[in-house]
Amino acid sequence: MTDTNSGVMKYVPGFIFCIILGWLALQWDQSIHKWQKDYQESEKILKPYLNEGKPLLPFDEYVAKSEGKYKEKLSAFEHGDIKEKPKKPHLLQKIDYEIIAATKEIPFKFRFGERMIQFQLTYVAVLLLGGMLLRNTIGLPKFILPGTVIARPVIKPGIVLLGGYYLWSNLLKVGIFALLLVLIFIVGTTVLVSIIGRRMKQDDGLMGVMAAGTGICGVSAAVAVAPVVNAKPRDFFYAVGTILLFGTVALFTFPYIGKALGMSEPVFGAWVGTAILNTAQLVAAATWYGHDSLLTANIINIVRVGFIPLVVIYCIWFYVIRQAKTEGRHEKINTWKVVKEKFPLFILGFFAMVTLNEFGVFTEDHRTIFGKQFLQIFFAVGFAGVGLNIAFEDLKKAGGKAFVIGFLAATLKAVLAAIVVILIGTEAFKVK
Amino acid sequence: MAEIREFEDKAKKVFSAERKEDIWVLILAAITVILGLTGVITPKTFPSLFF
Repeated sequence: MTDTNSGVMKYVPGFIFCIILGWLALQWDQSIHKWQKDYQESEKILKPYLNEGKPLLPFDEYVAKSEGKYKEKLSAFEHGDIKEKPKKPHLLQKIDYEIIAATKEIPFKFRFGERMIQFQLTYVAVLLLGGMLLRNTIGLPKFILPGTVIARPVIKPGIVLLGGYYLWSNLLKVGIFALLLVLIFIVGTTVLVSIIGRRMKQDDGLMGVMAAGTGICGVSAAVAVAPVVNAKPRDFFYAVGTILLFGTVALFTFPYIGKALGMSEPVFGAWVGTAILNTAQLVAAATWYGHDSLLTANIINIVRVGFIPLVVIYCIWFYVIRQAKTEGRHEKINTWKVVKEKFPLFILGFFAMVTLNEFGVFTEDHRTIFGKQFLQIFFAVGFAGVGLNIAFEDLKKAGGKAFVIGFLAATLKAVLAAIVVILIGTEAFKVK
Repeated sequence: MAEIREFEDKAKKVFSAERKEDIWVLILAAITVILGLTGVITPKTFPSLFF
């Protein structure tokens, strides 16, 4: 009999479960987007009837008229009369058109699709909310759990593929602002948390992981810093609990706050890229808001995770070298060793994709395949993993004064970052 | 003390797992790019996965 508790086999059931959930959510997403387009088309069809009482055209004439208009626009584009290439018209299916013609009403499923998109209940929300509910109500069988954990990093190939969407000029344009935001907010939060922690006489190990986690890149940074600041297991879980709790709250509230504040997609991307602490949660929130938001958030995230080695070096200096000096000992940092060990390799894949795109290797079709379609597949599996791993019992591990410091620092960073990105404005963060 | 050392080892192991994870990420992305560039995956592949 195969032992499902050991080796690779223990990951298989959970991973397959995430693939199935991802597929179901994407199927949902495809359906509501189609219905939303059908809704908009139905409105256009019914407008002359409702406003002027004109009768609806027979289906064949409706198709011919729409295609004729498209050809006219295409020819104007080819002659240079209009700048933007027209999109192929979205036509209703014959059966739906005939229902509208008979009832003069928009069918329920189209209205439902429109409403779901209005509430932003896309595959991202379904996977995150659904996964979280499933985990915390019915619960997951033990044999599913390991596979759901390894599904989370499946988001990363999506981030790499998204590189095919950028040119170096796009990257540099937004990158300059990304660098500024990272330097001011992320490094600023790391320094602030470590200094406040010292002033409030909190444990160095705990505040080290908390500073790195709230400042730069959530759990990855906390993991990278934990050994160098001699964090105890309890400290580590406190810090990770705080990071996850803040990230979870941010993930579910920021898209709605962004809408309420009227943030454009690039501005929202810049905001979540700066304010949300964990890569998976940041990517989820940005995707939830829109593709342009993801394009901006991704650049800021790449710059940010590139800073992990520097944050580790800072933590070694703050918690180890300074401490040693005050005790009369002399400690040195092997900077190159730290950078080599802590540098997140997947960023190189992202830059390789940008370079290939710069050299014209990718066509528009390739960009669609990599940066929209397969990106969604990888993200869907990853988001299923993220949703299923939001366990309230883990979030409860956040505690004590350190939690208050970490949570307040992260909240302050989010508020200030929102003000700054709104003031800087859409143009600066617009990738294309 | 032993508890701390055990935890340090665990944290280091987690980080080396992240490094391995990054290599898998790069392999997976590279396979997708190769399949896309060679035309095995086309823009019609994705819609064909759904009803």
